[in-house]
Amino acid sequence: MISYVFWGSLALSGIKEGMLVWILFLLCQVGAPALAQDLCQRDAPNGYKVRISLKTALGEDAYEWNQSEMFFFQATMAFAMRRHFQMETYNVDNIILCVQTSRVSFWFVVTSPDNTTMLIPKADVEKAVRMSRHRINNAFLLSDRTLEFLGIYPTLAAPVNPDTPPWLIVFGVVIGAVCVGIIALLISSLLQKRRKEKGMTEDGQDEEDMQVKGVENGINLDGTYNRGFTDDDRFTKL
Amino acid sequence: LIENKWDNPMQFVLACVSYAVGLGNVWRFPYLCQMHGGGGFLIPYMLMLVLLGVPLFYMELAIGQKMRLGSIGAWRAISPYLGGVGMASVVTSMYLCLYYNVINAWSFWYLFHSFQSILPWAECPVNSNLTGPVEECERATPTQYFFYRETLDISGSIEENGGIHMGQALCLLLAWIIVYLFIIKGVKSTGKVVYFTATFPYLVLIIYLIRGVTLHGSINGVKYMFTPKMEQLAKPTTWINAATQIFFSLGLGFGSLIAFASYNQYNNNFEKQAIIVSMVNSGTSIFASIVTFSIYGFKATFNYESCLERVRLLLLNTFDLAEDTISLENVNHWIAELNRTHPEQFASLGGRLETCDLEAELDTAVEGTGLAFIVYSEAIKNMPVSQLWSVLYFIMLLLLGMGSMLGNVIAVITPLSDLKFISVLSYLVGLVCLFCLLLGLGFTTRSGNYWFTMFNDYGATFSLLFIVLIEVITVCYIYGIKRFEKDVEDMLGHRLNCYWKIMLAGVSPILLIALFIFYIVNYIQGGTPTYQAWNKELGKSVVTEYPPYAQAFIGLLLASSVCCIPLTALYTYCKKRNLASGKRERTVSTVSA
Repeated sequence: MISYVFWGSLALSGIKEGMLVWILFLLCQVGAPALAQDLCQRDAPNGYKVRISLKTALGEDAYEWNQSEMFFFQATMAFAMRRHFQMETYNVDNIILCVQTSRVSFWFVVTSPDNTTMLIPKADVEKAVRMSRHRINNAFLLSDRTLEFLGIYPTLAAPVNPDTPPWLIVFGVVIGAVCVGIIALLISSLLQKRRKEKGMTEDGQDEEDMQVKGVENGINLDGTYNRGFTDDDRFTKL
Repeated sequence: LIENKWDNPMQFVLACVSYAVGLGNVWRFPYLCQMHGGGGFLIPYMLMLVLLGVPLFYMELAIGQKMRLGSIGAWRAISPYLGGVGMASVVTSMYLCLYYNVINAWSFWYLFHSFQSILPWAECPVNSNLTGPVEECERATPTQYFFYRETLDISGSIEENGGIHMGQALCLLLAWIIVYLFIIKGVKSTGKVVYFTATFPYLVLIIYLIRGVTLHGSINGVKYMFTPKMEQLAKPTTWINAATQIFFSLGLGFGSLIAFASYNQYNNNFEKQAIIVSMVNSGTSIFASIVTFSIYGFKATFNYESCLERVRLLLLNTFDLAEDTISLENVNHWIAELNRTHPEQFASLGGRLETCDLEAELDTAVEGTGLAFIVYSEAIKNMPVSQLWSVLYFIMLLLLGMGSMLGNVIAVITPLSDLKFISVLSYLVGLVCLFCLLLGLGFTTRSGNYWFTMFNDYGATFSLLFIVLIEVITVCYIYGIKRFEKDVEDMLGHRLNCYWKIMLAGVSPILLIALFIFYIVNYIQGGTPTYQAWNKELGKSVVTEYPPYAQAFIGLLLASSVCCIPLTALYTYCKKRNLASGKRERTVSTVSA
């Protein structure tokens, strides 16, 4: 690119003008990173701080965070911008990173592909990040908690609301079992009473005897209750 | 009911154990132990057991086994003027029946909610715009939110009533149906049920003990509990709390023991059984408190380490240090270091920097429903395979609660069936259960938990002391200790030895009078009775005074059971006088004619 400019300017104007343009261009090349530094700084109005917790997420398998990983981040962000704006013009150079710390944390800003001095507003960057958050997380083997974009809160998963709450199902099972138990008990005591009655009448015992035996509450006595030996005088007399 | 009897003495013992070993052993004794100096509390506890608990337990069993009637009939037989003691017992038991089953309803609710992949009290639910957790849950903890909002849907104060919580009402219905199932055939069915309700909780406690002591940090809790602080023994409240705990833990004065013993064979050796049941009850309390404290220790350590983790992250993020520079061990060292090197930046942290203190976490002593449903479920959610532990724990709570409930309902049913209102037992039981269910629905309303607390604090405490005091005085001085001795000799075959005589006639009444006076003084000195109202804005409980009508209701609760005694005495006296004067008139007229 430099050679085209050089030959072009040389062709367009005389050698002197050409040299001037060449010097200006060189200055721009040197000045561009300085300009980029002005765009990206701590607490930049259109920038976001990113915080990565590798050791928390991966423990022993944590990879080292180096310049290649930073480049990967730039590529991922460029991908996110492309995906959101549906423009194929975003490139790695449009993502400017700065203020790196050993935490690992850094700030980034996104420049427009058409004009490298113009920054993409914060809201648009946020939308792009939200849209591709899952892909960005997975690219780095991290999660919403360990790859934080400070200021962009992850949307929480919608709660799963089943049609019948699970507790009601368990409740239904238990109460059904208990009711069955009660009905079974009542029926069995009824059958027992009917069987005993049938057995008694077949033996030809009269009903008076049964009353003497004190059939109370459906429970038959084994022997005859002799009221003659009721100890009434153990109770204190009035 | 003479015909209805326990199949064998073992059933009787298990029924008594199942009744006495209840929720109080799990949630009140550990709290008292912690408040009153750990291991040192065992001294007043054991002393009160020997001086107060065992003799009174023995006396109630003797009465029941001798008279073979429920509390109303038994006391009427002992002394016609003091038949009201039995009536007062039944009234108190009825109050207990009304509110106690609500605890079982809560246990069912938690049990059914344990069958989910994530326990519902483990995390805060998200709010409607999916931006974060529900506000009330953020200010409180997820376990508190689940208990106060989702389980109870509690209102702000006792005055704000609301509708019935359908889930609670269903669980209460289930609880009463199960009680009905267990008592449908009187002690014939209860006798079989108590084999399970008395023994299974011990199995769960042993499993929990093993799980508890293997948890990380549990040793902190156990150490904290057992370090005796002997200076606590000098305070009178320690001794009074020990006496009250023994008293209520054994379930004296409700008439349940009399009812249980009335189904015994006449010559059953209740002396040995009284000692066994009392010892088992106290032993279970101590055992349960070891389990509780190991769980406490785990929870406190977990919270402490979470706090340290949060502080560590805060420091790392604020000062942008590499992740492995600060570890959990040197957090405090780094705080001092960073304060020294970057004072302005450190100052900017301000209130966000928490102080993490393990002692403070252990010191948060909680009792009652707070311990069982909030603290324990918080500990359980942090255990691995928490659903299993949750299910086990709430089944244990259910069995303990059901076992005590059986005693309460039998205490009401036995005297009623003696009076022979309704001859068929299952109908009587059904009627009582239905009645209690309908009234108990009041505790499932939005302000229901406040009424529950009122019943729990006032329904049975004062009246029981009075009832048992009158009981002891009646048996020893009005009926006569000599007559009582003869009855016991008749049943057991040997005389009362001097331990029982001294305790029953001397020591126990004195201790009871002292307790009684202390309660009255405490009540008067305490000022207006207050309760803990849940404030949803703050996310915590606030101490609130009872409104006047609630205070009147408290007075009614206390008076209604206590006044049975003087009223019945008066009624009997009037009846006797009418009878005597009536006889005299008839004799005069015959002679003159």
